[in-house]
Amino acid sequence: MLENQDPATLKYVGKGALRAEGVEKMTGQAVYASDMVMPGMLYAQVKKSPHARAKILGIDVSKAEALPGVRAVLVGSELDYRLGLYVVDKDILAKGEVRHYGEAVAAVAADTLEIAKAAVDLIEVKYEVLPPILNHMDALKKDAPLVHPDLGTYDFVKAAFTPVPGTNIANLTKLRKGDVEKGFAESEWIIEREYTNPSVQHVPMETHVAIVQWKTGDDVTIWTSAQSPFTVRSLFCYAFKLPLNKVRVVIPHVGGGFGGKAGIHIEPLVACLSRKAGGAPVKFQATREEEFSLLPCRSALTYRIKTGVRSDGKIVAQKMSMYWDAGAYADYAVNVTRASGYSGAGPYEIPNAWLDAYTIYTNKPYGTAYRGFGHVEFFWGLERHMELVAQAIGMDSLEFRRKNALRPGSVTLTGEVISENSGNVLKCINEAAASIGYGSLSADEKAREKETGRKIGKGIAALHKAPAMPPFTATAVIIRMNSDGTVLVNLALTEIGQGSVTAYSQIVAERLKFRLDQVKVTVEKDTDRDPYDWQTVASKGIILTGNACILACDDLLKGAYETAGQILRAQSCDLDHDDTRVFVRHHPEQGVTFASIAVGYAYPDGNAIGGPLIGVGRYVAQGLSNLDKETGQGYPALDWTYGAHGIVVEVDPATGEFRILKIASIFDVGKAINPDLVRGQCIGGMVQGLGTAVCEGYIYDQEGHLLNPSFTDNKIPTSKDIPDEIDCAVVETPQLDGPYGARGVGEHPMISVAPALGNAIQHAVGAELLHMPIRAEDVWRAMRNSGPIDNWITKTPSGSCRSDPAARRHDPDHAITP
Amino acid sequence: MLHGFRYAAPRSRSELLDLLAEHGDHAKVLAGGTDLLVNIRGGNMKPGLVIDVKRVEGYGGLAWDPAEGLSLLPAATINDVLRDKRVRANFPLLAVCAQDLASYQIRNRATVIGNVVNASPCSDMAPALLCLGARAEIASARGSRSVLFSEFFTGVKKTVLAKDEILERIVVPASAAGTKGEYRKLKRINGHDLGIVGVAIARKNGSLRIAVSSAAPTPVLVAGLPGTASVDEAVAAVLAAVSPISDVRCTKEYRLFMIETFVRRLMEEMK
Repeated sequence: MLENQDPATLKYVGKGALRAEGVEKMTGQAVYASDMVMPGMLYAQVKKSPHARAKILGIDVSKAEALPGVRAVLVGSELDYRLGLYVVDKDILAKGEVRHYGEAVAAVAADTLEIAKAAVDLIEVKYEVLPPILNHMDALKKDAPLVHPDLGTYDFVKAAFTPVPGTNIANLTKLRKGDVEKGFAESEWIIEREYTNPSVQHVPMETHVAIVQWKTGDDVTIWTSAQSPFTVRSLFCYAFKLPLNKVRVVIPHVGGGFGGKAGIHIEPLVACLSRKAGGAPVKFQATREEEFSLLPCRSALTYRIKTGVRSDGKIVAQKMSMYWDAGAYADYAVNVTRASGYSGAGPYEIPNAWLDAYTIYTNKPYGTAYRGFGHVEFFWGLERHMELVAQAIGMDSLEFRRKNALRPGSVTLTGEVISENSGNVLKCINEAAASIGYGSLSADEKAREKETGRKIGKGIAALHKAPAMPPFTATAVIIRMNSDGTVLVNLALTEIGQGSVTAYSQIVAERLKFRLDQVKVTVEKDTDRDPYDWQTVASKGIILTGNACILACDDLLKGAYETAGQILRAQSCDLDHDDTRVFVRHHPEQGVTFASIAVGYAYPDGNAIGGPLIGVGRYVAQGLSNLDKETGQGYPALDWTYGAHGIVVEVDPATGEFRILKIASIFDVGKAINPDLVRGQCIGGMVQGLGTAVCEGYIYDQEGHLLNPSFTDNKIPTSKDIPDEIDCAVVETPQLDGPYGARGVGEHPMISVAPALGNAIQHAVGAELLHMPIRAEDVWRAMRNSGPIDNWITKTPSGSCRSDPAARRHDPDHAITP
Repeated sequence: MLHGFRYAAPRSRSELLDLLAEHGDHAKVLAGGTDLLVNIRGGNMKPGLVIDVKRVEGYGGLAWDPAEGLSLLPAATINDVLRDKRVRANFPLLAVCAQDLASYQIRNRATVIGNVVNASPCSDMAPALLCLGARAEIASARGSRSVLFSEFFTGVKKTVLAKDEILERIVVPASAAGTKGEYRKLKRINGHDLGIVGVAIARKNGSLRIAVSSAAPTPVLVAGLPGTASVDEAVAAVLAAVSPISDVRCTKEYRLFMIETFVRRLMEEMK
């Protein structure tokens, strides 16, 4: 829905605007679910498993129930509801067996938080500890114990997923394009590597919190810190077999989501406590430690890539195997697997491709959506791999990327043909490279090296991502005009910090030709009042909801013109409007104010016409399809947002310590609706990506206990960890079906930060990193690893399995002596 | 559950010492609280009584006596140390170490004495105090005693303090004034982090002292090296004194490597 409007005539779109809810947040007046207290509210606490895998032999709640002030105690055996968006595999409380450290086994609601905590301590659980499956590669072995022996009986979305009953495989996604074996035969080089990364935590500032009241007659109200009100409602009603009109979900301001608040989480448990406590509202808020293991994380990944390439740098064939560690529940991880699968070759054209992506159950805290939805993880491997392939064949990696980059006419893994308007990854790569002066060191940089003794390296990594969503994803927007000519916009795309309220205000003001201060987009979401939206995920909000905003504006104006036309005795085609009046185009003095027709027009004698003006916009993703389960062919992508990061890093060649001197991040956003918000997303996402890249990650002991469930030993970046220089820029190749040409960029800044850093470090000191996070110690180890890395190079033009060490370091200035 | 405890805020030293004498076996002293409250919340400490010493008369801030030296009192925060001109002029190593401790907000609250009585192997203040030859003035209803910091730490989270005793003053001797010192701390991020290893080196009048944190059950002091000691000699002496472990933060190998690197670099810088 690109509006072919001259950018010069745009008043709000493409320009900065103050964040609509900014003052409210800055002054502390914004109300979050954390802040909310209801009359008669009870406080919930959860008893958690200290074991990764154990049989529950018995739970004694008698002491907890006897504690004064305790209003409800729940255990899993009382509940027979299972939860899931894609694979329905999770009980509200563990039943029979606990499957991960930190899993909820019982819960309490009490008059105060202190009583609830005391009651939880009084619950006695008898366990028979079982040996856990901790490594997802072990879980694939034939004799591995099953995390879910009943997998074959679980409900799941059959159009998209393929669980393998009798194994720990929750889903297997396959993609087949061309003939990969023939491609390898035609390749002059074959390079195979494996890349890994651990689970990480989202760490939203506001931890998961919900208040639920289950009233008499099964009327349920849920106030929650969630991303998606309608998905909370639909999954809740599915689990409890309630009609959708019995359940109301309200979402006030949200203190960060990042995917961790997509789908449904603690709401059903809190609801069961409210029901058992006789209908009192019950509140539960997770502690920071509970965020790490009671609530889900991002999955770990092992990514094996085998690439066949010609000596001129053209990739001929690529075989990719993704092994996703879903943890104990795979509901969301299966879709991470699916979305990563069809994106798994990155923004490159691979004529012969073969990809298998496994979602694997293990006895660890479970994975869910996290900004980037699998792409942060697999792009670590993919873009490191591109670097190492280029290095192996003795080609500059930037040139190698340019040679293989998708361009108009290229065919993606799923058979989609890239067009002029799909976005331009080459431009992103080139601009990132130019910004950091890729390929050589400036005089200043050389002088700095000399002075400090540290080595400076520059690296590039590209990225792409399409929204991971069902092909029929839909949304709607309702605009109501107030009697003073201002408008109220209702939509259910939740403001979680991305700036959606501001961006939609700008789109509505632009389309209506109204002033920005006439437009209010509601922050609080309420399923009883707002029109449907699937979920606030996937960077799809700007296209789907943005388009619905435009359609709602048009619908509102159509109604206004109808009423005005009657009053003015004019056809709609002869009418025009500004921010206060509808008037006859060729007699502008003949007009009526919006205020006079907003809720119906009254003639002087009291006769009335019209009625309240309401505009409705409905938009559903166009032209997408399910993917063929055997070949992965089909149309999964609403849009592709491309991007690239360039990093300049300074590395201590002795210790491996490093400092990021500059990062350049370039994204093809089609059209920046609000460049300030885009910049905010880019910097925020990039820093979050740096956390993943340098310091975050779950560490377990051999029994599956999480050893670092807090900020003491799970570090996240601070303001002091922001790179010295940041260059954010956009490329604007308009998306034909995007509002004003825009496409989403919410997740993308986080993707490929890690490989850009890994590549830069390699350019600086030769360290070949295959695992993230990249800690100083990892660089130190990689620098010292003088053993051959080219045993993974299984084919070369000279027939040898060993490449020339000199060819591995095409930057002789930085070759280090092992 | 949240641990419940009684709270006392004595105004006088004698009142404090009496409380410790009576309740020392189940009491914990509160100054900044940046370790104590975290430990109580985490269930690692369950004191029956928390004794806040910030209101005890004469327990605030820093004091300077030209003959004796610098006194750090129980309520002296890390930022108090950083703001003090006498510290910067006479004992720059104290400021260098203090600057690397946690974040500004924590430094506003955390005390020097709390940092050492907590007796974490990764204490940031211990290396400076060890290098400067500081001593702990310890009091109880039974009397007072003085212990050098080189003898103060006895194990992980353990010190020579008896249950009824309080470390009521740290004295950095006047004789150490003018000591040149530097500190290097390995962290996982540029922002606030516990030391993965830390090395402090101090030189004065032909003597060389090196202290290392996070490298043994207690902070380690290598004293008695002559000022003329070579870099290799210093490295050898330090490596002989430390016994780092592998944990979630780092491996033993990298700790050893970084200790050696820091010693070498600091020795070169401070030649």
